Amino acid sequence: MKRCFLLITIILLIGIAIISLGIISYIFFPFLFNIFIYILVSGLPHTLLLTSIGLLGGFVLGISLALMRIYGSKELQWISSGYEKLFRGVPLLVLIYIFAFGIPGIFWFISPLDRSLAAVMLALALRSGAYQSQIFRGAILSVNLGQMEAARSLGMNQIQGFRHIVMPQALRLAIPSWSNEYAVVIKDTSFASGIGILELTKSAYRISVIYREIPELWTLSMVFLTIIYFLFTYPITRFFGERQTKKLKDLGMGGG
Amino acid sequence: MGKPVISVVDIWKSYNDLNVLNGVSFELMEKEVKVIFGPSGSGKSTLLRCINMLNPPDKGEIYLRGQNLMDSDVDLNKIRSRIGMVFQHFNLFTHLKAIDNVSIGLRRVKGLSKEEAHEKALMALKSVKMAEWADHYPAQLSGGQQQRVGIARALAMEPDVILFDEPTSALDPELIGEVLQVMLDIAKSGTTMIVVTHELGFAKAVSSEMIFLGEGVILERGTPEHFFTSPESERVKKFLKQLEVLYGSHEELLKL
Amino acid sequence: MIFQYLPEPIDDLLSVLGYWDLMLSGFIMTMWLYGIALLMGFIIGLSFAIFRQYGGWILSRIATAYIELIRGTPLLAQLFLFYFLPYSLRIPIVKWNYGINFVLFGKDISIILLNHRVLVGIITLSLNSSAYQAEYFRGAILSIGTEQLIAALPKYTVVVYFIGVLELFAQAHNIVAYTFVSLLTYIIVAIIFLVLITTISKGLDYIYKRTSIPGL
Repeated sequence: MKRCFLLITIILLIGIAIISLGIISYIFFPFLFNIFIYILVSGLPHTLLLTSIGLLGGFVLGISLALMRIYGSKELQWISSGYEKLFRGVPLLVLIYIFAFGIPGIFWFISPLDRSLAAVMLALALRSGAYQSQIFRGAILSVNLGQMEAARSLGMNQIQGFRHIVMPQALRLAIPSWSNEYAVVIKDTSFASGIGILELTKSAYRISVIYREIPELWTLSMVFLTIIYFLFTYPITRFFGERQTKKLKDLGMGGG
Repeated sequence: MGKPVISVVDIWKSYNDLNVLNGVSFELMEKEVKVIFGPSGSGKSTLLRCINMLNPPDKGEIYLRGQNLMDSDVDLNKIRSRIGMVFQHFNLFTHLKAIDNVSIGLRRVKGLSKEEAHEKALMALKSVKMAEWADHYPAQLSGGQQQRVGIARALAMEPDVILFDEPTSALDPELIGEVLQVMLDIAKSGTTMIVVTHELGFAKAVSSEMIFLGEGVILERGTPEHFFTSPESERVKKFLKQLEVLYGSHEELLKL
Repeated sequence: MIFQYLPEPIDDLLSVLGYWDLMLSGFIMTMWLYGIALLMGFIIGLSFAIFRQYGGWILSRIATAYIELIRGTPLLAQLFLFYFLPYSLRIPIVKWNYGINFVLFGKDISIILLNHRVLVGIITLSLNSSAYQAEYFRGAILSIGTEQLIAALPKYTVVVYFIGVLELFAQAHNIVAYTFVSLLTYIIVAIIFLVLITTISKGLDYIYKRTSIPGL
């Protein structure tokens, strides 16, 4: 409970800082303020959409692959291992292009306008699945073997033991790595600008196009862009990374 | 005389090329407390895990109230819900409070309602004198307290027999007494128990038979009086002497 | 004349493979970027790791801020930032380049190893890699990303496509423009990257095994 209050307080403080900064810039630098807002507002929705779908898809894939690798037959293990190797060895941009332009019929059920979005979501999910698989595999394996023994000695079968005992602990153990994966995915959404999707990076890039007579603005828009991304990654990875590991260790769930 | 609760008939088990159990047989009657002791590596833990089929024997039979557990059409999960186990390293579920540790088996395996399970769990915690700690997490409890919760967890399932795998070996000396006291109390109230331990005071107080296990076979068996007054083999004599020297008998800890 | 009778996929494959010279030049460019970025990243990363650990109060704070900033922002954003910087500072862009040319199997292969775009790319990739390598030196084993960045860096060299550097992925685009065979081309490029990354990973594993001390 205390953790929640702390998180809320931090978010409130950051929010207040941002709002005051915003008010100051609005009063003293209205033009720049507008540019910042433009980048944020036109780009953020797609960035967040791509990030959430990519992470969610990766989550489902990741858990399935981890389970396949730990509890599955030799064939399943081989498939899971091969999948990981495949999607960690191919650049995301190539993957996006394959789905967006290489395979014409793959998104027949989606309207043409949204097809590039779907392509990026698919590429992000597939890639994230490979990395999340490793995260969950590590987390599941670091749950003490005695836990499963105790569960089975009560009469639970393997599925129940996994669902009620191992999985909850594994998920908690996975939080730091998972927050890191979130950061990776939201940064990767920047590649979607390559196929014309108006997310954050493309919005910032558009400033250099709209204001092509003012070169100073080009770099400034990129500076704003990096600030925005940083605000969306650092607080989360910092909070869920170190803090969480310490809290977990205190509760005796630090992988041992 | 009644039928035996547990019948172990000539079980053999080996890991790779190591023979751990080489033909062990014994019977356990209702309300009986058997103590198994012997040098480390003699297969004591393996024997317990054969009895509840966590790690089935290679050869031989195990009977629970006449039912052959080696039969292929036996529901082992159901059987395990009738055989309780208390572990050397407690194996409490770290993500659950003490009360939930005890009640989860009742809910998920026996299918009791949340309220019923909670009631029974509280009663079990009361009997090990841990009721005030019901809402604590395992990491907030001392070793002795954790083990008592572990015993409550086994008790709550109302099993036919409870297996104890060196329950006090991982405890600091000051904490051993409280656990032994609990074990003594439940033994006196008629629980059927198999206890692997080197706590001789406990054995002297409540066990009806002691079994000396060495090199995977029963080297000697008999009542506590037999062992403490006139053991047959030199080997056993020496071992008992060593135990007394190393651990004492903790008789002073027990309120007999 | 036989080509009329070959099934379409093979026909496509052959036409794509006909541009092997473009693929080769792109691949060399990719490897060149990878090597330089890895090396520079190592030097810079090591320096920052040292600053972070042994620098004074101010220096270590700056080093930490730098590392967290780079790790918390996308590579592409950093690339655009450095690319626009000279324009914004009104530094005139001199058109210079330094390249190599050679002939192989009858095809002219020319690779521009250095021009102002490639330089921007190298700077960005090096700085980016340095931040992750600094974390690696710090022993940040928690985040999986750190170990990845040495083996996975070739994947990220693709980003310079956005500023017009002709590495492997950019060349793939050219090939698609010439042959109209999109899927196969991208798949071939994907396979090349896959083989490259897997080889590097295996190599790293081998080195780790060789130099690991039991118990560490």
